[in-house]
Amino acid sequence: MNEIPASVQMIWGVTAFLDGVLLVLLLYRKNYMAFPAFFVYVLFDFLQCLVLYASYRIWGFGSPVSRQLGWGTQGVVMTARAAAVAEICQRVLAKYRGVWALAKRLLILTALVVLLYSWAIARGGWQLAVLNGHRGIELAIASVIVVLVMFTRYYGIFVEPPVRVLTIGFFLYSSFFVLNDTILERWMYDYSKGWNLLGTSAFLASMLLWIWGLRERQPAKTLGQKMLPGEIYDAAAPEINDRLRALNEHLEQFWNVERKQP
Amino acid sequence: MSLLFYSFFGLIGLLLILFAWSVRAPNRSGLPSSQYGDADECDRRHISYLPQIRQTFADADFDFLSKNASRGVLRRVRRERRSVALAYLAALREDFQSLLRMARAIAMLSPELAAVHEFERIRLTAQFEWQYQVIRWKLLAGIAPMPQLHGLSDLVSGLSVRLEAALKELGERAAAAAELASSMNRGGLDVS
Repeated sequence: MNEIPASVQMIWGVTAFLDGVLLVLLLYRKNYMAFPAFFVYVLFDFLQCLVLYASYRIWGFGSPVSRQLGWGTQGVVMTARAAAVAEICQRVLAKYRGVWALAKRLLILTALVVLLYSWAIARGGWQLAVLNGHRGIELAIASVIVVLVMFTRYYGIFVEPPVRVLTIGFFLYSSFFVLNDTILERWMYDYSKGWNLLGTSAFLASMLLWIWGLRERQPAKTLGQKMLPGEIYDAAAPEINDRLRALNEHLEQFWNVERKQP
Repeated sequence: MSLLFYSFFGLIGLLLILFAWSVRAPNRSGLPSSQYGDADECDRRHISYLPQIRQTFADADFDFLSKNASRGVLRRVRRERRSVALAYLAALREDFQSLLRMARAIAMLSPELAAVHEFERIRLTAQFEWQYQVIRWKLLAGIAPMPQLHGLSDLVSGLSVRLEAALKELGERAAAAAELASSMNRGGLDVS
């Protein structure tokens, strides 16, 4: 443990403590029923802290066993994080059946395209494969969250304040990690200590946001919307689009008339 | 390598901007308002003022003024014409927003959406916003000459009448659907 700077050790300790606080809060407020995937994610993260602490004490920080354990458990935590983000998307949009069906396809497509992009431009070598995978997943999570909030903005969908806070926490953490991993990839050994410190600090900030967001008990399920018959949309959507197109043409004509003036 | 290195920063910067834009406080157009029927109402309002707007832009009036009035008066008339053009643009945008609100409300309550219609609407919205802003800024900066509305007035009245008819029909259809849904619910059925 001596190889780890005191500042990093301290911040790890605070993070593990806050992880525990969030876990207890989720149990105490029964919010694990409202956000089961998020609860699993926090639980896995807390367990990872314990496993890594034990591993660093037994085999040392720089040992191959600790490294393998670190990246291995990180894969599990990352999968849980992706599931928690999917759960948020579902909670926000699923009550609007049509919008959710469309959004789901778009969100999956976004995640796939971003993962493919990250994989395509990643630097070669197995040594960096885990790091690149990590960055790709975090970039996909950040992109999915952006598409989600754009959807809610466009359709004027109300997002419950705790869910909004969870979303902000996930987005800040994921986008920060993409930058952190990118810098690490370039300046590998020189940056490793800074990478640890900054990464943990970003996680700490997200954790504080989540604790604040989930301080109250949340309803397990939000009320669904009563749907209109499908024919209304089938008839109205093209008709409204025609009107919008006509208004656009009108504006274009206005613009052309204005341009033709001497 | 350098380009790839910076591409991640650029991407995250873009995501940050989009995120901040999307989570900011909703504006009027984003609110699930009770004004879905407003398009109909404001359309009729615009129609009733159309003769006055047309009069404001009449060539004959301006020709007469340029011969008989002082430069100060001409300048004032030009300024007022500009503000009428701006108000007209704003009214057009209001119509557009009302239609958008209605489209979104219907989409949100529909069990299935067609991606083609939804993306087409996004494209039309982007196109409208772009054109609207360009014309508006040119008018505000005074670098655009005044449009001649007499050619457009026929178009707008035709459009408004068509819009009014379409919205009325749509409203009737939605009311019939709501009536159907409530009668089915009364009978113990759920249409959702």
